[in-house]
Amino acid sequence: MAPPLGESHKRFLQTMMVNGIIDGAKARALHRHCCETHGAHYAHDKLDEFIEVINAQLQPMFMQIRKGMSEEDGLQYHALVNMAETDVTRMSTDYADNELELFRKTMDLIVDSDNGTASSTDILNCADSLQTKKLKKRETEHVLNRLVQDKWLNEKNGDYSLSTRCIMEMEQYIRLLYQDQVKVCHICHNVALQCQMCENPTCGIKIHTPCVARYFKGRTDPRCPACEDFWPHEIPDVYRPPSSQ
Amino acid sequence: GKEKASQLHAEGSAFDPAAFAEHLLSFMGLNRLEEEDEDVEGGASGGYLPQDAWQRVANRAQCCFRTAPSFHYMMGSFLAELPPPRQRVE
Amino acid sequence: TSQVQKGLDRLTPAQVDLKTAEVVQFIFVKDQKKFPIRRADIVKHVVKEYRNIYPEIIKRVGRVFETVFGLKLVEIDSKNHVYILINKLEQLEGESLNMSPSNPKTGLLFVILSIVFMKGGVVKESMVWNTLKKLRVDQGERHEIFGDVKKVVTDEFVRQRYLEYVRIPHTEPLEFEFRWGQRADMEVSKVKLLEFIGQLHEQDPQSWTQQYRDATAPPAAPAV
Ligand SMILES: [Zn+2]
Ligand SMILES: [Zn+2]
Repeated sequence: MAPPLGESHKRFLQTMMVNGIIDGAKARALHRHCCETHGAHYAHDKLDEFIEVINAQLQPMFMQIRKGMSEEDGLQYHALVNMAETDVTRMSTDYADNELELFRKTMDLIVDSDNGTASSTDILNCADSLQTKKLKKRETEHVLNRLVQDKWLNEKNGDYSLSTRCIMEMEQYIRLLYQDQVKVCHICHNVALQCQMCENPTCGIKIHTPCVARYFKGRTDPRCPACEDFWPHEIPDVYRPPSSQ
Repeated sequence: GKEKASQLHAEGSAFDPAAFAEHLLSFMGLNRLEEEDEDVEGGASGGYLPQDAWQRVANRAQCCFRTAPSFHYMMGSFLAELPPPRQRVE
Repeated sequence: TSQVQKGLDRLTPAQVDLKTAEVVQFIFVKDQKKFPIRRADIVKHVVKEYRNIYPEIIKRVGRVFETVFGLKLVEIDSKNHVYILINKLEQLEGESLNMSPSNPKTGLLFVILSIVFMKGGVVKESMVWNTLKKLRVDQGERHEIFGDVKKVVTDEFVRQRYLEYVRIPHTEPLEFEFRWGQRADMEVSKVKLLEFIGQLHEQDPQSWTQQYRDATAPPAAPAV
C-alpha cells in the first residue's frame, strides 16, 4: 500500500494544480513552505521522495507530477500532467473543438520547422482552413493569447513554440504522432524542437540550445559529438537563473 | 423589507455601499486627479483605476474563498488520431 | 445495501477502481468552469452500466478527493443530487507561493457577496449595479477585464451557484434581487469577508453587530 498523504503533500499538489508548472527553485521553496505550514518533517534534499509519495496516489487517477528540462533556459521544471485520453478527458471544457484544432495545426507547423517555432502569420493562415469551424483573425489571436497565458505555447516576437509544460505532458504523443519528423537531442535524449543541428548531411543530429551551451562550454574547437565535424553554429552561454532568494 | 433594514442598522454600524465603494477605490489604487473633482451627487469620484485594480481586490479576497483548484491539461482533451497514411507518389 | 453488494460481487476490484477514477476525472472536468455536477450527468456520461453500484462509487470518489487532493465533494442539493467541490485546506492570507495570480472575477464576486451579506442577505439588483458603477463597472457597457459583466454576474456566477438572482414578485417594471447561492454558503468564510471589509473601512468588524453575529454563528447543518 502506498503511504497516505499528509496535508503538506496535498497543499503541494493543489499548488501544482493552480500553476500547472513550476521551476525547480520554486518547487524547493514550495516543498519547504508546505512542510512548515503543516508541521511536517522537512528535509531539503528529499523533494523527489516527497513528490514520489504524491505520485503513488495520483497514479490510479492517471495523473503525475513530472520532472523535465526547458528547451529555452535548460532549467529543470516540475509539471502536473494528465496521462489518460478517454471519452471523459475529452469532455474538457478549456478549449472549443476549433480552438483545439488550431492548437494541433500549430503543433504541426512547429514540429515541421527547423528551429521549433511557427510564425503568427503561418498560424493565422491555417486558421482559415479549419475543418471544425473557421476562426476569424481576431479570434485566432485571442486563442493564441490564451494558449500562451495557460502555458501551452510560448511566444517571442510573433513566433510561437511549444512550452515546457506542453512538451512534458505530450512528449509521448509527439514522439508517436511525428515519429518521422521529430528527433531527440543527442545529449539529453528528450524530444528536440528548439535546437541546433549538425550540418553534415549524413549525420544531422540535433542538440537543444541549452544542451549545446553546456556541452561546448569552454571548448575552442566545437565538433559534433556524433560525426566529429566542425559545429558551425554560435555557441550560446549557459543560462544562469537570476539569483533567487 | 424597509423596517427590517432599519432595525438592522439600529443594532450596530450601518453599512453604506457608497462608502464601501469609496474605500474599495482607495484599495484598488485609484489615481485621484490633482484638482479637486466636484463630487457629483451619487456619481463616482474622479480619477482613473490602474490596470491591476481588480487583480488587487482578487488577491486580497482570495483567502475568503475555500475554492478547489481546478485541473487543466492539453493531452487527452482531443482525439489523438495518428496521421493518415502517406500518399504514395507513383 | 445488499443490492450494491451484489453488484460489487460481479465486478473485479480493478473495474471498480477504474470507474472511480473516471468519475474523479469527470468531476474535475466539470469543475474547470466551477459549474455544479449533477448525479444524472455522472450516471449518464460515466457510470452507465455500473449504475447499480453508484452509492459505492461516489463514496470512493469522495474519499479520493479528501485523501489525495485535500478537497471535499459536497452535495448541495440532496433532492436533485447536485455536487460541488470545495477546498478542505485552509487558505493562507497572501499565500505568495500560490504563484499564479488570482482571477480578477474573484474581486468582482467579493464585492457583490459583501454587499448582499452586509445588507442582511438580500439586496435589490439596482443597489449592486449602483455600487459597481462607482467602481467603473457598468452593466450596460463592455468591461475591459470582465467583458459582458451583466452576463458574468447574472449568468456565470448564478450557474456556478455563487449567487441567486430572482425576480421580485409583483414589480412593474421587473425588478430582481440577489442572495448568496449555495456555493457561496459552502465556500466563503463570512468571518474573513468581514475582516477584509473592516480593514477597508478601518473599522472593527465587531462594530457591525448583526453581521458579526451571523458570521460567527455555528453553521447550519450542511446538506450532505
Ligand atoms: Zn537536450
Ligand atoms: Zn554530426
